[in-house]
Amino acid sequence: MARPESESNVSGTENTELEAGRLAVAMAEDGPDEAVEKTLGFGFWLCITWLSAIVLVAILAPVLPIADPTDINNGPLKEGPSWSHFFGTDNAGRDVFARAVWGARVSLVVGAFAITFGLVVGGTLGMIAGYMKGVIDQAVSFFFFALLSFPALILAILIVTTFSRTLQVVSLTLGILSVAPVGRLARAQTLVFAEREFVDAARVIGAKNGRIIIRELLPNVLIPMGGLGLLGIGVAMVAEGGLAFLGLSVEGESAGQLSWGKIINESSKGRALSDYPHVALLVIAVMFATILALNFAGDRIRQYTDVRETAF
Amino acid sequence: MRNFIFKRVLQLVLVLFAVTFSTFASLNWIGSPLENIVGPIIGGTDCGAVERGELPDTSSAGGGKTDCELVREAEEEFNLDRPVPIRYGIWVGEMARGDFGNSLIGGTEISELVSQRLPRTLKLVVYAQIVALGLAIPWGVSTARRANRGFDRVSTIGSFGLLSIPNFALGIVLLYAFSFRWNLFPSTFTEGSISTQIKALTLPAFTLGLGLAATYQRLLRTDLITTLQDDFVHMARAKGMPPRHIMYRHALRPSLFSVITVFGVNTGALIGGSLVIEQIFGIQGIGALLVTSVLRQDQPTVVALISIVAVGFVVINFLVDLLYGWLDPRVRAT
Repeated sequence: MARPESESNVSGTENTELEAGRLAVAMAEDGPDEAVEKTLGFGFWLCITWLSAIVLVAILAPVLPIADPTDINNGPLKEGPSWSHFFGTDNAGRDVFARAVWGARVSLVVGAFAITFGLVVGGTLGMIAGYMKGVIDQAVSFFFFALLSFPALILAILIVTTFSRTLQVVSLTLGILSVAPVGRLARAQTLVFAEREFVDAARVIGAKNGRIIIRELLPNVLIPMGGLGLLGIGVAMVAEGGLAFLGLSVEGESAGQLSWGKIINESSKGRALSDYPHVALLVIAVMFATILALNFAGDRIRQYTDVRETAF
Repeated sequence: MRNFIFKRVLQLVLVLFAVTFSTFASLNWIGSPLENIVGPIIGGTDCGAVERGELPDTSSAGGGKTDCELVREAEEEFNLDRPVPIRYGIWVGEMARGDFGNSLIGGTEISELVSQRLPRTLKLVVYAQIVALGLAIPWGVSTARRANRGFDRVSTIGSFGLLSIPNFALGIVLLYAFSFRWNLFPSTFTEGSISTQIKALTLPAFTLGLGLAATYQRLLRTDLITTLQDDFVHMARAKGMPPRHIMYRHALRPSLFSVITVFGVNTGALIGGSLVIEQIFGIQGIGALLVTSVLRQDQPTVVALISIVAVGFVVINFLVDLLYGWLDPRVRAT
């Protein structure tokens, strides 16, 4: 009986957090009925183009010929999109397009840092747990389980309020949040591969544990992690957006402290949404397109690399 | 089964300890616990020096007591002269009896605030789950019945979109469209008769429920497709049972395991999501209280609320785990 090999099933029935839950949904897509396409497809490259454009624009924000995102009275107040202001202006006459471009910087930095941290720390812990088994596995698995026992946003609020609301703390917080979901997948993958003949073969010729983990297991575990990485950036960006929306993300008014969540929050409070809805709705559209692209591209990579799996 | 329950209970106890202790430690080990509890102390906290007469005491802003008197009172009240593990024990005991202490803002009892606001959040979460399941079951059944046909393909794109939209963004779009533009639903929550409350909670419940419905639908669809290839379904079909009857009476129940698993998980996500959604729709629930307490640095309230939510989440997941073990005997072996 081919129950979906979702992450939650591989690692027993312990519960995972939203991210993992959603990933499990993505993972469960490969029903026996679906033919696996051999190419990444047009949609994938469209997503990559959009993401590259966003990243490029975010990096180049200081040198691009766009308005100063904090400059008030840059144009008429609360005006809809026009050629001089692509996304229109907000209630202080600030250029919304420039704000969206600058907002991408914090969102992307937080997303990329969080998932890198999750992959490095969670991946290492998960692989060690899956390979060593026994007491180490139990301890690490319990650590993951305890981390997942907090609702994600609640844990983020706890950490952010205990320390401070700087870019570093927010990035690290979301990084800590991604440790457990990533670590569990790494552990589950390692468990599967550690049973394989090539690992036995390596052991027979006298390879030490460290070498087996790095040279034999890591390449096999990294492949599903690639797709997870892109999905994870999206999850972290949404989480940052949620924090920013509550006013609990990076503090400050300068251009470097803007994020999409913060702009959406500012432009949807009280009468703002009925007065000048274009600000919130346009930034939401950009954020939605970016998350969609990350999810789609991540999912395609996962499906694509799964082909290798079925070839064994 | 008894062994399974024993293991789960042990896990529950350990996790409850980890969750409450880390929450407690954040209040008591980082920064000054005293300032965390009574707020910033203007005159400094070196009361030893004041009592020895080396420093002049500062008079407090209100109440006619000096700052040092307030500090000593707080130390006594919160047992700050005891070591952290003992204070943790006392704190857990008080929490278990429902005594969460007083809020720094206005001095109201936190338990009173919680009992006012928790029902609203619970109503929202339950409504959202009803919306999610109510949409996902017919949706999953109809897509699984005609997998990879037109409607299934369109709905795959649709559910992908729903999973990609951040809940606060969806909330704002719904609020703008259905409340400001078409004026179908109120934009803020007010207490009132059941029908007004349901009407006011509809938009927030759909905001939370739509993404969840997509999650459930994906899982249910995959499981149903597998179940539909089982012999008993062929048997039912051969006997000439109507397709609807086969889907809902025979195939649905054994296909619900994945949905039940993520049901518990997603309750936590819903609680997190409701923090944000309450802000958008002006619902004075636990989430709104938590956010204002954080912004006003009302630490006792923050810690109490986080503990309540985290403990509730752990307990729900524990119950779902037991339910899952009861439904599917294979789980008990792990």
